[in-house]
Order: sequence, then structure tokens, then C-alpha cells
Amino acid sequence: VLSTVPGSFRDPANRVYAFAGSSDGREDVSIYRGVNQQALEYYRDLAQAPFFKSLLENGRVVSTEETVSGEIFDAVRKDGWAGVLQHEPVPFITYPYEWTFGMLKDAALLHLDILETSLESGWTLKDATPYNIQWINARPVFIDIPSFEPWEKGTPWVGYRQFCSMFLTPLMLRSHLNIDHLPLLRSYLDGIAPTEALKFFQGRNRFKKGVMAHLSLPAKVEASIQKKERDDVEVQKRSTRSHSKAMVVGLVQSLQRLVRKLKIDIAHTDWSHYDRTHSYSDGEHELKKAFVEKAIKARSRKFVWDIGCNTGTFSRIAAAHADLVLSLDGDHDAVEQLYLKEKKEANSKILPTVMNLANISPNHGWAGEERAALDNRRSPDLVLVLALIHHMRISANIPTSMFLSWLRKFDAEIVIEFVTRKDEMVVKLLTHKAEQYEDYNVEQFSSECEELFEIKDRKILKGGKREIFHLLPKI
Amino acid sequence: MSKRPQNQFFLLFGLIALAMYPQTAYAYVDPGSGSVIVTAILGLFAAIGYTVRKQFYKIKRVFGGGTENNEEGLDNNEKDK
Repeated sequence: VLSTVPGSFRDPANRVYAFAGSSDGREDVSIYRGVNQQALEYYRDLAQAPFFKSLLENGRVVSTEETVSGEIFDAVRKDGWAGVLQHEPVPFITYPYEWTFGMLKDAALLHLDILETSLESGWTLKDATPYNIQWINARPVFIDIPSFEPWEKGTPWVGYRQFCSMFLTPLMLRSHLNIDHLPLLRSYLDGIAPTEALKFFQGRNRFKKGVMAHLSLPAKVEASIQKKERDDVEVQKRSTRSHSKAMVVGLVQSLQRLVRKLKIDIAHTDWSHYDRTHSYSDGEHELKKAFVEKAIKARSRKFVWDIGCNTGTFSRIAAAHADLVLSLDGDHDAVEQLYLKEKKEANSKILPTVMNLANISPNHGWAGEERAALDNRRSPDLVLVLALIHHMRISANIPTSMFLSWLRKFDAEIVIEFVTRKDEMVVKLLTHKAEQYEDYNVEQFSSECEELFEIKDRKILKGGKREIFHLLPKI
Repeated sequence: MSKRPQNQFFLLFGLIALAMYPQTAYAYVDPGSGSVIVTAILGLFAAIGYTVRKQFYKIKRVFGGGTENNEEGLDNNEKDK
């Protein structure tokens, strides 16, 4: 089945298609791109350029080849495209509002490095959105090939404003003011406009690195244009002043230096030091690890989710037996720690993601389809839900039956740890709560599990304070 | 005459709607069109720095200190990390 990818309609020069087929009884997705005549000609020139070949070899740009025949070629051409490119599929699509500070920073540097290299070779990138970057495990990859265009002498860096709104501003908000940039990126899908962003920077904060040049100045210029040209005043011509290559490359390089300098401190949150502060004794923790490992090893796993991953202790166990592990947690700093470790691993199989599991990324953007909800993307074949259920029930007020129904829709095996009322972490959660969640007990939990799953294995841990289950979906 | 209260309601509704309408969304003037001015200003400063650095590394190379690319003491491989 060939279908268009909903998030790819904005650039009129091309459109992305997904082809879902099957090989060896497994579903396989191939990614194609229909391109117009000009984009096709640009691609053919680009494919010969040494700088582009080197970007491909280093894995900084997604592997791409032109397709010139076949059923899919014919089908895409029928939609009116002059040519067809095939890309290496990205294992799992994520969005910038799910990335940690470090991930957004590395994506920004990848964009700038590619742009700098391109400019030195007479090419440019026509836009600057982080949606053009995806992750192959813990490594960022640039995926929007038609964004490469020959640089016309005298033209400015056209993606500058977009780069600032979508990369630099959220990074500065987090680094300079410790403002959580993720909810902002989730709402402002086109980035945070300088006039809006500047409202966060008051007083002395306006003198922090990069704020004057990349927020105050653009905000001032934009406000003055708005003021001068509002109502029925005709739009004035903008300066057509020629931009030398030194101006364009110099600006790109100054942003590289600025982005490299932006840093955050990882706070000590409940989860950011989980591997040292968890409530298990060493022996009991080993029993839990052994149970999880046995369940994972029972079959070959293509795609595992570790929801509530903390700093990824169990994601690493899963990664030893799976093709890819998506590690999700709502605690930014815990996920950041995981990312910083994984990016150093040459063969990491972990994709870290920040996600509040009581409020997952929704379907949104144009027609509610442009950006897919977390549970509307590729499904896992195994989900680890370790020491999470008490937070879903007691902190987020989500009935366990509803949480289990949500898990059931993935048709995946589940390894879930139930934290009983006797456990000190649940005692802590209930201490100041008026509602005492009498329905929250292991008997009710296991009977709710049995309505949707078959309990393949279970084990009591921590002297009866916790119990871990391996569940198989009931057909 | 009997229609006046209704008209007033629509006028009031219209004013509230106008007040609530975000200034930047879908206005006729694209504020982003000003980024040509911004990149021209910032680009001028950046070009000076770019040229000075380039000359500096050229001179440094003549005296045996690294390559043209090792801006800030980093070679390209280190930049990638």
C-alpha cells in the first residue's frame, strides 16, 4: 500500500510516500519521495557533489537513491512528480518537542555544519526546521534532501529566522532561563517568533549570550514592519542588498559558536540519579533485572518501548536483545543523561525521548494529521512498564483498567511491575492525598490484566512490596 | 429600531473577536520578511569576524600552527562529536 506521509505537504517541490509491504512475513516500510523537475535536476547535480557524497558516507544525511523504474515509480509519477527518490527509512519518527536539550542542540549543530559545508561548495539549505532531522538511534540524521539548492550569489541565508525560531530560541530559553522549551515547541509548531520569545527575557537577561543579536534585533525589526505596514498601507519593498558569501558563512559560523556554548546543568530530580537512588537492595534489583531479561530474550524483538525509563538501566538490558529500544520518560534531565551516554556509544540501539505518559504527544498540526500521536506511529512488540503504574494511578489519576486498555492496543507483550500499597514509594505518594485509591491493589490489578492479557509469568519482589508480570496479549 | 440591540451585540462580539485575534497570525504583513534586514546587519559583523579569522589561520599556518579549518582549535572531526 502506497500512501502520502501527512507531514510532507509544505514544500510544493516534493512529497513523501510510504510503501508498506511485507518480506519474510514481517511488515516492511519503504520511503519514497516524489520531486518536481527542478528538484530532480538539483538532486542529480547534488548526488555528484563531493561534499554531499561525504555527508552520505558519514551518515549525516539519510541514504538516498534515485528510483527510475518499477511499480512504485509509476504510482508516484502518476501523482504528477517528475522523479522519484528512495530514502533509507528512519526506524521511528520523533519530533523536536520530544527531544532533550542536548538532542535539539546536536540537531542544531548538524544543521549548521551541513549548511556551512554546503555553502563552501556553492550550495545552501532552503529551510531550517528541526523536522528535517530525525534520529537513527541516538544519532541525528538530516532527511530532507530537496532542501539542498544551489546557492545564488548575493542571496542571504533564507532559513535564518526559521533556525532561530525553531532551534536557537528554545535552546536559549532552556539554557539562559531554565524554561522548559518542550511544551512551547509542542504548541508553536512553526517555532517561537522573536517578538513572543523576547517577552521571556526581561531586564538583565536581555544581555545574555545571543539574545540581543538574535531576539531583540529581529523583534525590533519585525515590530517596526508590523507598525509601518498595518491596515491599508502598502507593503514596502525590502532591502535587496547583496549578501556576500563571507556574510552568510560568517553568520552560520557565529551561530555554531553560540549554539556550542549553550549548556544546561542536569538537576537532581527524582529520576535523574535513578541508577543510584532506586529503592531496591542490590540483590532484589538483580532479581528484577533477571526477570526482565528472561522475558525480553524469550523471542527476537524488533522494537521495544521502555516507558518510564528513568536513566535507561532497563533500556540497556533490552537493547542487548532488540533491534531498537524507544526509551520514554517525562523527566527531561533523566532522559538527557541517557542521551549523553548513548550518543557516545558507536552502536547504540536506544532512542531517548521525553514524554509525559499521562499526556503523550497528540495528533496535531494541519487537519490534526501533520504530526502523529505517539501511539499512532510504529507500534512496539514489547513494552516495559517498570515502576510506573503507581504514578499513572495515584499521581495522574488514571484508572489502571484504562491504562491497561491503552497498553493492549499495541498488540504487544508487556512486562509490568506492580508497586503495592506497602511499598515506601506508594506510601510517600499517598501521604498527602485525600483520595486513598482503595481499588489500587495487586489482586484487582491481576484480575484486570487477565481480562486483556494472559499472565505468562509473575514474580514477587522486594519482600512482597512489588510484583512483576510478563503479559501476552489475549487474541 | 427593534434590530438595534442585535446590531450592538454583533458590534461588541466583533470588537471582542478582534481583540482576541492574535496579532501575528495570518496578518497581511509577513514579519519574517524583515529577516533580510536582520541577516544583512548581523552578516556584516559576521563577515568581518569571518575574514579576520580566515587571515589569522592563514598566518598561523604559515608559521606552522595547524590548518585553515581548525577554528577555535578544533578540527572538523572534533566539531562533529
